[in-house]
Amino acid sequence: MTVQFGYPEDREARSAARVRALEALLIEKGVITGATVDKVLGYFETDMTPLNGAKIVARAWTDPEFAERLVKDTPAAVAELALPIGMDGAEGEHLQAVANTPGVHNLVICTLCSCFPWPVLGLPPYWYKDPTFRARAAREPRVVLKETGLDLDPSVELRVWDSSGHSRWFVVPQRPAGTDGMTEEELAALVTTESMIGIAEVPSPAA
Amino acid sequence: MKLQHHLGGLENLGPVAYEPRVFVEDWEQRIFGIHVAMMGLSAHLGDAVPQYPVEDVPSAFSSVWTWADLRKGAEAMHPFAYFQYRYYEKWLGGIGGFFVSQGYITEEELEAKAAEYLQDPGLDLPEGGDERIDDQVIRYLREGDSPRQGPAGSPAFAVGDRVTVTDVPPTEHTRLPGNLRGRTGTVERVFEGNYGYFCSTGPDGIGEPMPVYAVRFEPTDLWGELAEPGAVLYGELYQAYLTHAMEEQQ
Repeated sequence: MTVQFGYPEDREARSAARVRALEALLIEKGVITGATVDKVLGYFETDMTPLNGAKIVARAWTDPEFAERLVKDTPAAVAELALPIGMDGAEGEHLQAVANTPGVHNLVICTLCSCFPWPVLGLPPYWYKDPTFRARAAREPRVVLKETGLDLDPSVELRVWDSSGHSRWFVVPQRPAGTDGMTEEELAALVTTESMIGIAEVPSPAA
Repeated sequence: MKLQHHLGGLENLGPVAYEPRVFVEDWEQRIFGIHVAMMGLSAHLGDAVPQYPVEDVPSAFSSVWTWADLRKGAEAMHPFAYFQYRYYEKWLGGIGGFFVSQGYITEEELEAKAAEYLQDPGLDLPEGGDERIDDQVIRYLREGDSPRQGPAGSPAFAVGDRVTVTDVPPTEHTRLPGNLRGRTGTVERVFEGNYGYFCSTGPDGIGEPMPVYAVRFEPTDLWGELAEPGAVLYGELYQAYLTHAMEEQQ
């Protein structure tokens, strides 16, 4: 976030106190329980993390037929894997994978808000929600990607998906070189959230 | 127009702050959790596909709260304030304001309680409550709330059709990215089935179930001489936002 506004020094302390007050009042009034917020956060910490997306990508890298099904009918393909229950739950009701190829690179954005495929990627990083990223990635995605270290060859078509409808998009990055013979588990460990949003490639493992 | 509806392509914003964390302050997690709980307890879920028994859930929450409500709040902000406040600061403002405006709490109570926590951040939160509330919230997370509704109709557009995006007068809330208004693209995909939206957006045109399309826009058709070569933009657009392109009508 830019620091061009005059913020009060106790900005965070005030917000922290206000949200704690709000939570306390909601518990007192019977809207939520003393455990509700912790249970929600626990759900995202244990069940809905980018590890799910990484497992899906690793399977796509090792099974070309799965990779094809994943793009054609994403929810059905995702359901084939042993992932936590809820892949088609909140913000995963209509998952849609798009696959990178040598000639095509995909980038997911949301110019209207911050739509994100929670079950497969967890919660969105701050940069994805930043109005500056959302505004610039729509018009000058190549420049934005270059700033983060991904210099796409001019011959590569860059497809930017603005999440304005019901689909929650995620990217299947290309399998990096130097990974022959790696197991699905080892491959999954290489996959990053950034690569599944499309602002990065999956780096080759250190030899 | 609202700036928040027209972020795509806004110029002169400077570099992106690449903050990879999901939460940058501990307190942000709490407002996120409150928002999810509200969505999981929303009164409209009785009509959702899983037919959640929200009427039987012993929570004092009796309102409808969906993404549309959160988005409306963000879209109603002063455009400079929209940039001034961090993501979860906006959530805190919108959600706190909602509970006050709906009469669940008063601003005075909130301020008095906040003053206590500001003075002593270590003060505990209250405990207890009926577990069935939590069960419903987690069930919502697991089973979701699909906007797909009713039988698939006959879509007005087919793959390959050239379509021009409508430019209806701006309303409180929209799912039409402003940079696509009046632009012409090509239908690349027709999604199976019809999709509703959480609420009617009035003259903007969405709410009732309708087909949705992935439409491909060439960069020069959107940005003219500012276009980046080889960077195409896809919008996922409800049928209400599309018309047959003039070139097709001739």
